[in-house]
Order: sequence, then structure tokens, then C-alpha cells
Amino acid sequence: MNQTWRMLVSRFWDIAGSVNVRTKIMGIVLGGTILLSMVLTLQVHHSLTRVLEEELRARSASIGRDVAARSTDLILVNNLYALHQLLLETQVNNPDVRYAFILDNNGQVLVHTFGEGFPAGLVEQNRAAPEDYQHTVALETPEGLIWDVAVPVFGGKAGTARVGISNQGVRRVLFDLTSQVALTTVIVLVMSLLAATFLTFVLTRPILDLVEAARAIGRGDFSQRVRRWANDEIGELAEAFNQMAVELERADEVRRERELLRRQLFERVIIAQEEERRRIARELHDSTSQSLTSLMVGLRTLEGACDAPQVHQHTQELRQVVGQVLDDVHTLAVQLRPSVLDDLGLSAALDRLVKEWSRRHNVPVDMVVHLGGERLPDAIETALYRILQEALTNVARHAQAGSVSILVERRQHDVVAVIEDDGIGFAAGRIHSDGHLGLAGIRERAELLGGSITIESSPGSGASLYIQLPLAQPADAEEPAGIIQ
Amino acid sequence: MIVYRRIVFLMLALFLGSCSTPSGVPVAGFVDLNRLEPLPTPFEQELHPLKVAIAAVISPQGTAESYAPLLEYLSARLNRPVERVQRRTYAEVNELLRSGEVDLAFVCTSSYILGKRQYGLELLAAPQVNGKTTYHADLIVPVDSTARRIEDLRGKVFAFTDPTSFTGRVYPTYLLKQIGETPEDFFARTFFTYSHDDAIRAVAEGLADGASVDSLVLDFALKRLPELSQQIRVIHTSQPFGMPPVVISPDLRPQTRAELEEILLNMHKDGDGLAALQALDYDMFVHVLPEDYRSAEEIESQIPLEEATP
Repeated sequence: MNQTWRMLVSRFWDIAGSVNVRTKIMGIVLGGTILLSMVLTLQVHHSLTRVLEEELRARSASIGRDVAARSTDLILVNNLYALHQLLLETQVNNPDVRYAFILDNNGQVLVHTFGEGFPAGLVEQNRAAPEDYQHTVALETPEGLIWDVAVPVFGGKAGTARVGISNQGVRRVLFDLTSQVALTTVIVLVMSLLAATFLTFVLTRPILDLVEAARAIGRGDFSQRVRRWANDEIGELAEAFNQMAVELERADEVRRERELLRRQLFERVIIAQEEERRRIARELHDSTSQSLTSLMVGLRTLEGACDAPQVHQHTQELRQVVGQVLDDVHTLAVQLRPSVLDDLGLSAALDRLVKEWSRRHNVPVDMVVHLGGERLPDAIETALYRILQEALTNVARHAQAGSVSILVERRQHDVVAVIEDDGIGFAAGRIHSDGHLGLAGIRERAELLGGSITIESSPGSGASLYIQLPLAQPADAEEPAGIIQ
Repeated sequence: MIVYRRIVFLMLALFLGSCSTPSGVPVAGFVDLNRLEPLPTPFEQELHPLKVAIAAVISPQGTAESYAPLLEYLSARLNRPVERVQRRTYAEVNELLRSGEVDLAFVCTSSYILGKRQYGLELLAAPQVNGKTTYHADLIVPVDSTARRIEDLRGKVFAFTDPTSFTGRVYPTYLLKQIGETPEDFFARTFFTYSHDDAIRAVAEGLADGASVDSLVLDFALKRLPELSQQIRVIHTSQPFGMPPVVISPDLRPQTRAELEEILLNMHKDGDGLAALQALDYDMFVHVLPEDYRSAEEIESQIPLEEATP
């Protein structure tokens, strides 16, 4: 029992809660009005019924007494005609009188209003003792309830007057009145429906405005302001909302500026970094390599100039060392800034990079590059190179991959690159914190150029990195992409 | 669930309770008002009652009350039921006497005179009041009236009692005839009250400017309602006339007549009878003779009663 009740209650709240505010308000107003009307109608009906029935009963006693008083002399002088006229007059003057008759002091009917014949059993239904003022009983008839009043005439010595009052008149009045009240109720209901509609409109208009504005702000449009419709709590909410929007707009401004600054800084860092790398690579290539080569030549000369086997041995060793250093320097220079990238383009640079990486880490790499033969913008080429370089470094460090595949493709409006490995994968979202900028750096580079990075991986099923860089300048870029030289 | 059902039931009960008979009057029974049957004929009494008519000297209720002890006494003495018969006019009572539908009647003086002339109505006895077997007519006016004689009532409203009443109609008409007038011309308006106490009341309340009433009734009324003396004044008293008698129907059996005579003339001798007489302010019943009504007859002959009915 309890459970059913609770279930009903929760169902009710579900339904009641899920209708919109407008319906709620209208529901309340209508519900209240309907309840009030119903209660009022019932109350009016009840009270009126009581009052009218009471009054009818009092009136029937009064009519009975009147008939008795006026019939006294007529009964005594046996004026039956006048007696009958009296009864008929009484009926005419009081439409509620259903019947009237006079009994003599032996209980025999002297005159009556029934015309031909007399209802069986009516006389015995009521009796008045000589000292009674009047005696009333209720009689059930096929026509409804009848008040039968018995009044002794001349102390009962002349006889008894009996009058039957029907409550049909009263019932009709009641019905008319109640239906009038009900009709009024319906009219008021319709009117309150209209009023409720207006009321809900007035109440919910600002709320709906707020909802729209909040959604707009959610979309990033901070310029929305809400009109203050009224000076109530909702009006204050509108005020507060507007202030919040202003603050958000300001904060957004600040954020954008900072973002801009940060991008610019990052860009500068990258530019500086690339510059530095280029410079170092050049330095390594121009001076360091040259110096080492000179050293190598000097050692060879030394070896030719001296026959001592110890000297040969040492110079051989030294030449090996120098040779190694030369190689290392070269590799370093290439790693820092492959000149092939500047000279021959991305495709060739990637070729070199991949071959070198595959060789060093003993992992096969399958690469396909479709660039259409044309050079891409410098910034794009550099970014792609660095990104793939970083990705390969990550694979080497973490993936334990068996093979890697790379695709680079130039499309109509952008260039895309995909690098996939079949290694152990990682939970996407984990940032490698190992001193490298790592994935964050890759993402920054891509976003700097208006592109995007998508990473798909899950533990045990490898990883794929999807890069997309637009080729045309983005139309609504707020910060100019730095041109990396 | 049980609680829920109880609440619904309570509301229904409240609702229905308000639909039952209000003010807790018991319903006595059921009657179909459209099922009509002929009324049963009243049962015939086994013992043939003595029918006694009382002329409307005073109002019907007053008559019924005052004569009840006397009729009960008669019934007890005769050992048979006595039925009281009342009619609105003296003439009706005379008719009943003539046809034998009533056996005994207490009538007005002029009723006797008329009846005697028309069908030989006979006297049985007459009451003695204050030692006298005569009475007279009193002409009364409201206490603040300036009238001293009937002549002063010209153009006024006059109340008669019964059309054939001696003191109530015949006598004042006779008075006017003495001065060569008729009531229709002399008075502005006249009306009939059909009883003397109603005529007295009419004058006391100012409905009429004058009336002529039975002195016995007036004395009786003044004794019962002393304040009446503050409301009316007597401006003329007539000569004495024979007391309103007790008469019998010509069809009455002589045996019954003798019985009644004996009872009436002796009733003042026993307690119940005396009490019944006192209810009417009578001393006793005495014999009377037709000669005692000569003075009344003389006056009446000038105002023929046959023409008197309106």
C-alpha cells in the first residue's frame, strides 16, 4: 500500500516537474480557480438547500395554521361550499400547496382538493393532538418529498385542517440557482484562463530571454544582453546576468589577448629555436666541420711525415676519433636543422629522416608522400618535419613498435599526415612529461598554423596521429601565423 | 490504499448526507397522491342523536364554547348523543326546524315570531337572566362619538347583525321608520356581521359608527371584557321584549318534548345543570307564553321580516 502510494507520488512529481514553467503557472491558476469554484458551488448549494427547506417548512406550518383559523366558523356552521372555496383559494395563492383537506372531529373528510376521489392512506399519515400548535411529518410520494401539516381546528372540537406542501418549487429554484452559479463559474474559469495566459506570458518572457542569452553565452557570444522587464527578482536576475556577461566578455578579451601573446611567444620561441638550430648547424657545418677536416688532413700529413710505427698507430687512432667526431658533428647538424629541408624540400628531408631513424632503431617504416612535386610554404614544411620528427622520437621512446607507417598527402586546401605504429599504445590524453614538449608541443605547432591534431590510441592497440594543416591562410585568423624562416 | 478509500468514502458520505431530509423531520411514510379512491361514507350512528341548533346570536366559536356544557348536560340526562348544529343565518335554522332536521333550537325572538307565523313554531321554554325574562335592544356608538340619538347617526356607517335579528335589525329599522327614514337612505353604508358580539366589536374598533345589539350579549361581553366600556357607549335603550326562547320542531315526538321540558325547567336544581346555566349567564329556564312576545310582534309587524332578507 505504502509503495503504491509512493510510486504514485513520484509519478506525479515526474509529470508535474517536467511540464514547462508556463504550464505550471497556468496549472496553478486554473487549479486554484477550479477548486475555489467547485467548493463555492457546493457550499452555495448546500447552504441554500438548507435555508430554503427550512423556510418551506416554516411556511407550511404558517399556511396550515391560516387554513385552520379561517375554516373554524365555516366548519361550525357547516358551510361546506365556502370551506371548499377556502381550500381552493389557498392552493391558488400558494403554488407550493400540493393538497389541502379538512377533517371533522370524527376524522371524516369534509372537503378536499383532490377532485374525484382521495388518496388511500393519506388521512392516517398525520395526526394533531388538540393542544398542538401544529404537527408536521414528511411524506414520500412518487413526486418527491411532501410536508404534511396537521392543525387542530378550534382545539380539535371542530376538526383538523391538513395541508400538503411540495418542495418541487424549492428544488426548481435550487436547480436554477445552482446552474447559474455553475455557469458563472465556467465564465469566470474562461476569464481566469485568459488572465492566466497573460500572467504566464508576463512571468516567463524574461525567463525565456535569460535562457536564450545563457545559451548564446554558452556558444561563446558574450555580446548578449537581457532586457530588464520588471523590477522584481527576475529583473535583478537579468541585471546580474548582464553584469556577468560584461565580466565574461572582459575576461574573454583578456583571455584572447593572453592567448595571442602566448601564441606569439611560442611562435617566437619556435622561430628563435629554429634560428638557433640553423645557426648552430651552420656553425657546426661551417666552422666545426672545417676545423675537424683540417685536423684530419693535418693528422694524415703527420702520418706521412713520420715513419715511426708508434706514431702511425697513434695517428690512426686519432684519425678514427676525428672521423667519428666528424660524423657525429655532421649527424648533429643534420638533426638540428637538415639543410636538405631548406634545399630540396619536405619530401626529401622526410626520406632522409625516416631512413636514418629506421636504421638507428631497427624498426621498418613504410612511408608514402604525395606532395604533388611543389614545395609547400616554409612554415608548413618545417612544422610537418618537426612534428613527424617528434612523433618518431616518441615511438622510439615509448611504443615498442614493430613497424610504423607514415602518410603525407597534399590536398586541395590542406595537407594531411598520418603516422601509425603497432606498439603498446597509451591512454589518449596522457601527456608525456619527460622534458620534451611532446604531444603538447605538436598540438601547439599545428594550432599555430590553424590546423589540428587528432590522436587515437588505447592501451595494447597501437597509436595513430593524424595531422591536418590548412594551406590557405585561415580567413578569420586573429593572430597572423608567423613565417618561420 | 485503505486510507485512500476511507477518504473517498468520507467525502461521498458528506455529500450524500447533505442530500437527505433537512432538519431531521422523520419521514412518516409513503403515499401515492395520484392513486385516488372514493371516500368511505361516514358511519351511521346507532343511537339517533338529538339535534340541537343554536342561532348565531353570538359568533360560532363563542356559541360552541358557551353552549357546550349545556349540551353535554342534556346528553347525559337524556342518555343519548346530542349533536350541535350551527348555521350562519337565523333563516337557515328556521328551515331546519321546519323540516325536522333539528329537534330543538335556541333562537332569536324574531325567529320565533317568523316561525310561528309561517309554520306554527312552538315555544318550549326561555332562560331567565338576572331575574327577568325580558331583554331589550341597546344602541351603541364608539366611546368618542358625539351622537346622542339615532338621528345623530345620519350619513354614518351602521352595523346590523343578522337580516332577521330583532334587536339587531328590526328594531333600528323601526326607530328610523318613526322618523320617516329607511336605513338605505339614512345611513351612508350598512353591513351585516351575522352576530351580536361581532357587531359590538365592529363599533368598539371603529369599523361602524353605530349598531343595535342584544342587551344580554352586551352585558355578557362587558362582564367578560371590562375594557369594552372604554370603547363603546350606549345611547339608547329600548322597551323590554320577550326573551329569546327555546323552540322545538313541529315534528318532535311529544315524549321527547316532555322530557326536554322537564330537564330544562329543573336543571337549575342540580350542580352540573347549574354550572351549565352559569356558563351562559342564565339563572334558570322558565315557562313562557306567546303573549309575552306581543310587544315584539307589534314592532315586527311594521317591518315585515319576509321582506327583510337582503
